[in-house]
Amino acid sequence: MPEISFAATILPAVARFPKPDFTSGYQYPTIVHSVPWETFWSWVDIGLLVVMMSLVAWAVHRRRSRGVVVGVSIVSVLYFGFFRTGCVCSVGSIQNVVLALTDSGYRLPITVLLIFLLPLIFALFFGRVFCAGVCPMGALQELVNVRGWRLSRAVSWALGFIPWVYLAFAILYAATRSQFIICRFDPFVGIFRMGGDMGIIIFGVLLLILSVFVGRPFCRFLCPYGVLLGVVSRVARRKVEVTDSKCINCRLCHHACPVDAIRQPNEAKVAERRTTGARRVALYLLLLPLLTVGGGLLLQSQSDTLSMAHRDVWLYAQLTADEQPDVLTAEVEAFHEMGRSMDELEASVQEVKKSYRLWSALAGGLIGFVLGCKLIRLSLKRTRNTYEVEPSACVACGKCFNYCPLKSQL
Amino acid sequence: MERREFLRTCGSLIAGGSLVGLGGVLGSKASAVEGEMMWQIDPERCLQCGRCETECVMRVSAVKCFHANQVCGYCDLCGGYYREGVKELNTAAENMMCPTGAIKRRFIEEPYFEYTIDEALCTGCGKCVKGCSSFGNGSLFLQIQQELCLQCNECAIAKVCVSGAIQRVPVGTAYKLKDHA
Repeated sequence: MPEISFAATILPAVARFPKPDFTSGYQYPTIVHSVPWETFWSWVDIGLLVVMMSLVAWAVHRRRSRGVVVGVSIVSVLYFGFFRTGCVCSVGSIQNVVLALTDSGYRLPITVLLIFLLPLIFALFFGRVFCAGVCPMGALQELVNVRGWRLSRAVSWALGFIPWVYLAFAILYAATRSQFIICRFDPFVGIFRMGGDMGIIIFGVLLLILSVFVGRPFCRFLCPYGVLLGVVSRVARRKVEVTDSKCINCRLCHHACPVDAIRQPNEAKVAERRTTGARRVALYLLLLPLLTVGGGLLLQSQSDTLSMAHRDVWLYAQLTADEQPDVLTAEVEAFHEMGRSMDELEASVQEVKKSYRLWSALAGGLIGFVLGCKLIRLSLKRTRNTYEVEPSACVACGKCFNYCPLKSQL
Repeated sequence: MERREFLRTCGSLIAGGSLVGLGGVLGSKASAVEGEMMWQIDPERCLQCGRCETECVMRVSAVKCFHANQVCGYCDLCGGYYREGVKELNTAAENMMCPTGAIKRRFIEEPYFEYTIDEALCTGCGKCVKGCSSFGNGSLFLQIQQELCLQCNECAIAKVCVSGAIQRVPVGTAYKLKDHA
């Protein structure tokens, strides 16, 4: 534990009573306040992050073994989860990054930047190896998952849209300095800390019970960082291959996959006429800018309502409400006690509302753009003769390897 | 297959390029010099609203009462130790300000008493701080005990702090104290 010598911060003492004049030779006690070795542990986090992602990448791409992934998952849940109590995580670091881009007063620690970037860089080369077992939330769900109930493609397609909306709102609220919603609604952090908001803990436990039966519900249908990793993984240099032999279409890997990332061959299906498909893609491509602009305008029209999440806007609304309540809220009382002026608050509110107008348009635009892209992707048909891994959905957990009846050449 | 491979390479170049770009922009803003950021209470802004006790994600808040001996008047009738309007200066429960008995005092010499906080008992309610700042020298104040603090990415208390007194500061300034006068 390092002990920090504090820069002398001299606060004006009230000094209603003079400093006592001791005659008995009393000495003032010296109290040293130690600071945990946070910087050291943050670098340990970074080191472990790299080592564990490399291990998963090696195990998945070279060895095709799941054992290593399970081992990494256990270490991750224990270390990143219970020991480091889940903060700062890559998922939440999206908000720190956004805040650093918009707020010049906020200084992003280099370790947080690395926690944000490293999994994305790894995803560019090896796919979602971070999700596999390095992320404590993914690891926790993976470790409890025993059954593989499948959702229909349509349902999981629709639910897969939620993370994008979540991401858009997380960016909106972080950029406007309102709050970190990813941290606030993090379902598993309460379990790792063994405390916190009861509602969120119950939500986390329910999600964990659900993940016993359905593979990784949080990762697939909520995680805003997972979708970023998914996009990068789509162009990854290496993608997970179930086998290096020629696939015999036995379907076993498809059934084993907890996140439904192994697509069936579709050559037997009747293909629609090429021109019909091309026409639909062209239509969606035309629709894409419309959806983007439309989404932006739609969310921007709600920006004043959304801005109530900012403390100053909320306080201003309280102070200017027509009907003043008999009992003042603590915030209003504090406003008077601190002697803040109404003009200063109003200026702050105008500033906040302005940034809400900008960021709600951007967030809405993102939602519209993603919807358009998802529609386009839905219409891009490609022929598959064998079972193929969809890189953006595959979390590199390695469950499929043991199910493949073909002997690996490695 | 050629075309698909080409598209994928283009895609990874774009993705890699934007990652490098983002890293560059953020890297120039970030600095390793000051280390990690920690949450800290600015005692000057704190209004002792009592939310520190209840809003912390820990069962017992990481916010504790700190005492600046250098500022303290060592009074017998201490506004942080006794409740307002006590009849007799004794340690009967109805006279004590601290609901958990975390403030201890020791007789030094006539008429001075030394006050110390038993951190294990303190819940960070700030009642004594309020008493001390309205009646005494303001030597008691609330601060985050960094060894207990979990360093949440967003402090749950900071989000609801009525005066915005909880802020992120670099590790080196994690304790803003009152006793370096």
